[in-house]
Order: sequence, then C-alpha cells, then structure tokens
Amino acid sequence: MKKVAKKQLKNVIARRKCCQAEGTGLSHYILMDKKSK
Amino acid sequence: MKNDRIPKAVDKAAPSRGRFVNTGNGPTIQPVEIGHATHVALVDPDTAFWSLVRRDQLGDALNDSPLLRAYRKKSKTFAEEMRMLRFGLKPSAVYFNPTARCNLNCTYCYIPEPMRRSGPQMTTAQLLDALARLKAYFKTTVPKGRLPQIVFHGSEPLLAREAVFAGIEKFGKDFRFGVQTNATFLDDSAIEFLTSRGVGIGLSLDGHEASIANRTRKTWEGRGAFEHVTRAMDKLRGYHGYNVICTVTTENMRHLVKIVDFFHKQEVPACMLNILRCTLPSSRKVKPRDADAAKYFTAALDRTYELYKRTGRKLIVANFANILVGIIAPTARRLMCDISPCGGGRCFFAVAPNGDLFPCSEFIGLPQFKGGNLFKDSIPQVLTTEPFAMVTGRKVEDIEPCDRCAIRHFCGSPCPAEAHEMNGGMKQLGAFCEFYEEQVRYALRLIADGKDSAFLWDGWDKGTKTAFDASTI
Repeated sequence: MKKVAKKQLKNVIARRKCCQAEGTGLSHYILMDKKSK
Repeated sequence: MKNDRIPKAVDKAAPSRGRFVNTGNGPTIQPVEIGHATHVALVDPDTAFWSLVRRDQLGDALNDSPLLRAYRKKSKTFAEEMRMLRFGLKPSAVYFNPTARCNLNCTYCYIPEPMRRSGPQMTTAQLLDALARLKAYFKTTVPKGRLPQIVFHGSEPLLAREAVFAGIEKFGKDFRFGVQTNATFLDDSAIEFLTSRGVGIGLSLDGHEASIANRTRKTWEGRGAFEHVTRAMDKLRGYHGYNVICTVTTENMRHLVKIVDFFHKQEVPACMLNILRCTLPSSRKVKPRDADAAKYFTAALDRTYELYKRTGRKLIVANFANILVGIIAPTARRLMCDISPCGGGRCFFAVAPNGDLFPCSEFIGLPQFKGGNLFKDSIPQVLTTEPFAMVTGRKVEDIEPCDRCAIRHFCGSPCPAEAHEMNGGMKQLGAFCEFYEEQVRYALRLIADGKDSAFLWDGWDKGTKTAFDASTI
C-alpha cells in the first residue's frame, strides 16, 4: 500500500468488460483455460 | 439528470425521472467500505456495476456526476446481461462420477462413507453408453464450435480407470475432458495417457508437507496421500493443463502462505484454495471461523503477488481469480459457484455411478436431490424436476441478508447444498459469509491499486469487449 500511495491513483475507477457467457465450472475442478485441449 | 422527460420504459412503473440515486427511478448505488486508504466502492447490487471513488469525492460522485450519467446509459444493458448470466444459460458441462468408491477417507468428503466403501461402479459399457447419451444431449445445448466438458470426479475416478480411459479414447473429439484425482493411481502410464490427449488433471493436496496435508486426506487405514501427490506434481511439471486444489480448513489455514510457496516452487500453473464445503456433518469438524480463514487466505494471496513480482511467474489462485473476473467482467467468469443461482442444474449437472442425475456433485449423497436417471429419463425433463428446481431457483433476492447486500452478485451466497443441509433450507445462507465479504473487499482493493492483472491468468479477457470505462468519460 505504501508504494501505491505514492502513485497518483485515479479519482474514479470503473470498468466493465462483456462477452458471451460460457461459465461451466464448480469449485471442485478448475475450468479456466479454454484451450486445455 | 439533464433530461426532463420521463423515460418511456418507466412511465407505468412510477412517475419519477430517476434524477437521484436511491430514490424513485434513480439507480440504486450503495457505498461499500473496502478498507482502502483513499478509495471507497460504489455498487449497484442488481446490475453488479461498480466504481471506486476517492473518499473525499464520494458526495460529488453520488450527485449528478459524469460517472452516474454514463452509468444511466448502460444500466439496462448491464441488467439484461446479469439476467442472461443468471437465468439464460444452458448446461455445457457434466461432473461425472464413474465410481462411488474411494481408497481415501478424507475428512470433508461430500460423498457419504457407506457409498465410498462399497458403492456402485460403472462398467466400461455403461460409461460409454452414458457418454453417448450426453453427447446427443449436448448437441442440443452447446453452440457449434464449442465442446461440452466432462470432468471425471469422485470419490476416486481412477478406480474406474479402464472405463474412464475407454471413454476418453472413444469420445476425445466430442468433449473436453478433465480428471480430478487424489493421485494415488496416477502412475506413469496414466500420466502419459492423459497428458498426450490434453486431458485436464486436477490433483488434491491440502498441505506443503505430509504432516499438514495428511491431516485431512488419508486412506481408511490412516495413511496419507502426500507422497503420491508430490510425485505426480513432479511428473506433471511443465504440463499446462494441470492444477492443484487445496481445501482450506482449521487443519491447514495457518500454513496457506507456505502452501502457496510450495505450489509456486513446484511450478503449479494454477491452484484453488477452496474454503471448506460443509454439506455433510463430518466436514464441519474442521470448519474455520470466517475471519480467521479470511486473514490467512488474503495473506496467501499477498504471497502470490510477492512471488510474481520476485520471479515473473504467476501462481493463479483460480477461485479468487474467478471472483476478480466476476467483478471486472461478470460474463467471463468460469466457475459458477459465486453467482446466484449457482451453476448447479443449469450450467452443469452431475452423473452418479448408477446414472442418477443430480444438480451438482455436492448433492450426490442426498437422495432427495435426485432428478432422474441418465439411462432412463430425458435430460431436459430431469432439469425441470423439483429437486433441480430447488437448486436453480435459489437466488440471493430470497436470502437474508443477501437481499440487501451490495456484493451479492460478486459472492452468490454459496452453496445451496450447504445451506440446505447445514442451515435447514434453500433460503438460508451457506456456511460462510464474512469470508466471502473479505474476499470481495480484497479484490476491490487490488483493482483500486491497479494490481488486478497480476492475479489473473494470461489471456483471461480474450474475446471480451469493453462495455464501460470511466477513464474515457
């Protein structure tokens, strides 16, 4: 936090990305890499 | 708001121009304390829109600010996006238990002990028949160009190795396969078979040394699995499709930083530090307190950042990365436990060794949640049965205090199996709340500090578009 405080943080930060939803996983297995195959 | 006309869409709802936040047709924007030195969060709970503003500018931000004016233009789009994510998806994955049996007797397993000792196991012919049925079903739900996913899970799926490998061999072009294993049967030939076919391999390990790891993961006779798992980790080094799951309990939470060090040293590409699921009573013996678990968990996340800065190599903590992605790009999340309704019964379902269908693996030990049988019933009909509807209908708007929680779409109030079994119903909380709060606060602090990309896997945002960016306002 000390290092970052020296940097000038933006007054307002807000961003959002969107895509086709493809979420399929549950926490028993990692489904992260779309190209595991 | 400069526009004095009442928007048509809200004409009938209420004669309000929506000029102010939190009244009439104005947006609902809740301030959220995130424990950051200079910034505080503003969140619209329904659309999962968030912003981080300087504390000394909070009042201005909530007035007729450029931020809010820009958000008003997007709020309906974001609301529709969340509706689709929460209610518009179809199944594209199956958690497939080819056997009920396991050679381990882990403290927190969600499969009841009698099943794990002597439950059913699929033959090769039954497993191939099951995969053929699933292939036919997924042709109706998964868009062309995408492959549905089959994750062989347990109990210990490699007890049914011959059947599992036959299925992977025969249906290799029809599914993306994964195996979650305790590694005790993961010999050289199994590793060669799986890695040469690009199968995802998940290992389970709860510690950086045997004395910790074996507390919760051991055979019926009490022998730990640590040696097997570390041997497999050595063999899998460099294979990008492998990962390790560590379940966080009272038995290992104090060692999470050392566990992260160990995983990073072993060059594990990704891990999960999953907070314990408390579905069955036996698991609750090792349930940590929320605040304790959060303290050690966030310390472990801090360590992954230090390791990345020091070595240039990331250890992705996938369950946390998914929270971050759920904040930055809600529709890009991979894991569906932290959205409500959860993915159980709508994005994926589980197949038991006798073909019985459940909304999620977590329910396999709970007969009342059986929706039908893969070999006897139509899958689309099973998805609409009462046991499935109980899970797919569980939503944060019906749960107290989630119904008034600003971060309800970054947390999702997991897990329905826990809520039902531990707390008595689908409208109850699961086992943890403050732990999830702290996880989201931590994620928002990272975003405020511009550190978030250090916690995300490379290429996570491929295929995404920017829908909102305050820096362009």
